[in-house]
Amino acid sequence: MKTRGTVAAAVASAGILLAGWQAGTQAGGTSIITATGTTAEGSGGASGTNGSAPHSATTKGTTSGTTAAGTFTGAAVQTRFGSVQVQITVAGGTITDVTALHLTDDDRKSIQISNRAAPVLRSEVLAAQSADVQTVSGATVTSGAYLTSLQAAIDAANL
Amino acid sequence: MQQTSDPTEASGAPLKIRTFTSMGTVISLALVPDGPAAGQAADDELAAALAVVERLFRDLDETFSLYRPDSEASRLARGELTLPRASDIMRDLYAEAHDWRLRTEGAFSPERPDGVLDLSGLVKGHAIREAGTSLLALGRRNWCLNAGGDVLAGGSPVPGSGEPWRAGIVDPGNRGSLVAAYPLAAAGRHLALATSGSAERGDHIWRQHGRPAEFSQVSVAAADIVTADILATAVVSGGTPMLDRAADGWDAAILAVRTDGSLVATPSFRR
Repeated sequence: MKTRGTVAAAVASAGILLAGWQAGTQAGGTSIITATGTTAEGSGGASGTNGSAPHSATTKGTTSGTTAAGTFTGAAVQTRFGSVQVQITVAGGTITDVTALHLTDDDRKSIQISNRAAPVLRSEVLAAQSADVQTVSGATVTSGAYLTSLQAAIDAANL
Repeated sequence: MQQTSDPTEASGAPLKIRTFTSMGTVISLALVPDGPAAGQAADDELAAALAVVERLFRDLDETFSLYRPDSEASRLARGELTLPRASDIMRDLYAEAHDWRLRTEGAFSPERPDGVLDLSGLVKGHAIREAGTSLLALGRRNWCLNAGGDVLAGGSPVPGSGEPWRAGIVDPGNRGSLVAAYPLAAAGRHLALATSGSAERGDHIWRQHGRPAEFSQVSVAAADIVTADILATAVVSGGTPMLDRAADGWDAAILAVRTDGSLVATPSFRR
């Protein structure tokens, strides 16, 4: 009797674990973006189906993660600095751009958030050839190293 | 080196550059003559401006250089002089450096790890700031001052056009090429651009808490050169936490090169 009870408990536990795993897998396998047409609204957070499910937003009209494409607008979210709303662009199931439609009603906070440094590719920053600039900024060069620097070339051209 | 697109050709006002050596590096002053001044008059204008700037750098170097045994800074370092008895400029810059230490939460420090007061992280920026003030006081409106890679500009390379001075930023992985550019213009508020590195002449940059260097080079554009210079130094020293604090707390554009060559930038550095 005691053995049977233990086995029953073990099976029940396994069932709960399996249900949790399935919930997690399902949530992970579908797009977390609510996609109805080209714009969608966030539908307000996880519904708490299972403790082990990831806390992604519940979705409606989900598209497959590999084929999702288009522009998606999130709901305006109230924060203690005012409302915040973002838009993402998805191509081939990958987020290719994130745009802030509205960054708080607190101007100072808005500047701070929008000035955040982020990784960029070399092709994404303001670029110039040395012939197109009038001066060159770099880590301090010694007077010896100056001779072979770009700045020395610019100086020599304008003596 | 022949410039392929010389912006001064059209206006007929030639950009002229003179250099001198001070503080262990080379200072370049570029000046565009105001109005019709040309030839000898323009040369005289440049010579006068250069003399003022050079004198300013030399005086500050004589006071603050730790490479000169007879400087006031060296006497302070040896304990022959105490701060309360030091000159006004020494105490003023010490106070300013101390303020920057608080504002950067220690990422910038006026003291070396061995405790010796070393204001060299602030003195060059101060010299550039003072030189810029002097140039404006002399009535010079269109100029660009580069002191060992730290830049302060006034006006435009093409007077009256509003065109910005275009500054390139050296690629730390290949010092013969540029990794990025930034326009320095009064309209864009950022007239100063400073770059600090963890490899070259990094002798005044102490990494916080012995953390390994995250960035090989950090460039900061700001409204004034001291802010730009200090923040660039602080981000090299303090890594990503200081980078975020600098972007949050100051009106500054920042481009940081990680030690693996990848880039981190605030939006103004993006195309």
